[in-house]
Amino acid sequence: MKVRIDPELCTGHGRCYALAPSVFADDEAGAGYVTATGDLTDDELEAAELAVRNCPERAIELFD
Amino acid sequence: MEEAPELEPATGNDELMQSMMAMMDPETAKAPQSMYADLRRETPVMELPGAVAVCTRDEVVEILRNPDVFSSGMAATNLGNVRPLIPLQIDPPKHIQYRRILDPLFAPRQVAPMEEKVIGLVHSLIDRFADDGQVDLAKAFTIPLPSEVFLVLLGLPLSDLDTFLVMKDGIVRPEGATMAEHNEVRRRTAASIYEYFETVLDEREREPQDDLLSRFLVTEVEGKRLTRNEILDICFLFLIAGLDTVSASLECMFAYLAQHPDARRRLVEHPELVPSAVEEMLRWETPVPGVIRVALSDTELAGCPVHKGDQVFAMLGSANTDGPGADSIEDVDLAREENRHLAFGGGVHRCLGSHLARLELRVALREFHARLPDYEIAPGAKLEVTPGIRSYPSLPLVFP
Repeated sequence: MKVRIDPELCTGHGRCYALAPSVFADDEAGAGYVTATGDLTDDELEAAELAVRNCPERAIELFD
Repeated sequence: MEEAPELEPATGNDELMQSMMAMMDPETAKAPQSMYADLRRETPVMELPGAVAVCTRDEVVEILRNPDVFSSGMAATNLGNVRPLIPLQIDPPKHIQYRRILDPLFAPRQVAPMEEKVIGLVHSLIDRFADDGQVDLAKAFTIPLPSEVFLVLLGLPLSDLDTFLVMKDGIVRPEGATMAEHNEVRRRTAASIYEYFETVLDEREREPQDDLLSRFLVTEVEGKRLTRNEILDICFLFLIAGLDTVSASLECMFAYLAQHPDARRRLVEHPELVPSAVEEMLRWETPVPGVIRVALSDTELAGCPVHKGDQVFAMLGSANTDGPGADSIEDVDLAREENRHLAFGGGVHRCLGSHLARLELRVALREFHARLPDYEIAPGAKLEVTPGIRSYPSLPLVFP
């Protein structure tokens, strides 16, 4: 499983990198980007799912 | 808490005002969640004269995500300003340029170094009443704190606090009985705000400091410096959007915790819950209960027609309590693991100051409860909540 952020939907609420810093980081404008770009480990997947559940814009997507 | 500061329509449509005020009378403003639930069930998109109020999450999101149909321009809210406030009252594509320079100034990594300062301000306010056994938390803490943080951020002296509060209140809660009187107070206050910042900007131009205002003077958009008017329009918005909203959020949170001792004890025993508690109380309370847009074309929301020129009230508080497990006071969980609240709005106008606001809210809750873990509403005190932004003008607490 991998994770991505849809840049069209992300408006920089900052929930992903606050809740799942092992998977996401913040750019200089405060938007999130994925740092765990490959297949996610179990721990990373759990963190990424937490971010999905807390993104107000539903901008985070898990995919195979 | 979005960029938009207030639920008050721009035009003086009396019938519309009555409908809105009936919806947000002070009693309802105290606990609007059950009204939201009724509205979602009965009129998810409510037609008012010249306006619609939209209460369901999906439709609120649709409004926030489509600024080309639902404009946030000057027609949406009257705040006494003579030019559009930046970036709130600017629609894309120009909006994107402004956010490109403003977002980095308010990004988490930029506001994080403010934490030590905020801790200091919080403690010096608490010092003044910690031994008294009672306090009006609004006057002594929740009102001054966000303004003091802002003064520090802008590089202005803390002695300007009262000037700041007067200017802010003149716009956000103008005195007067009628819309016409409100608008007159707003117009006069707006003039004084432009004048205040003109003077400070002149000073910074002569003698630049390491502060936000000095940075504005040398900031460029697409190779061009911001004009003096653009900087003034940004400062105006900061003043009215960045202060009251954080005060109201603090008041809503302390009022909730004062009246829910189990939740408060949980927070005291588990300070690591402060970040999720902040999010959950933002969700449940939604201190800025809605934002206003204007329809630029005929359209519809959930099958309800919306006409070009209609004001569109996106009820954020209702969107935040829409859904099973989210709509009742019993559902409030300070450790909630799924929380997509829109208390800071959403879409392109997502609150510019949200990261600073979160920092202030977290520091205030953490430091306050470490020092004063037990408190309750003063016996006999009758709490009142203002419609529009849900602030408590007075929040009397007693503590051992």
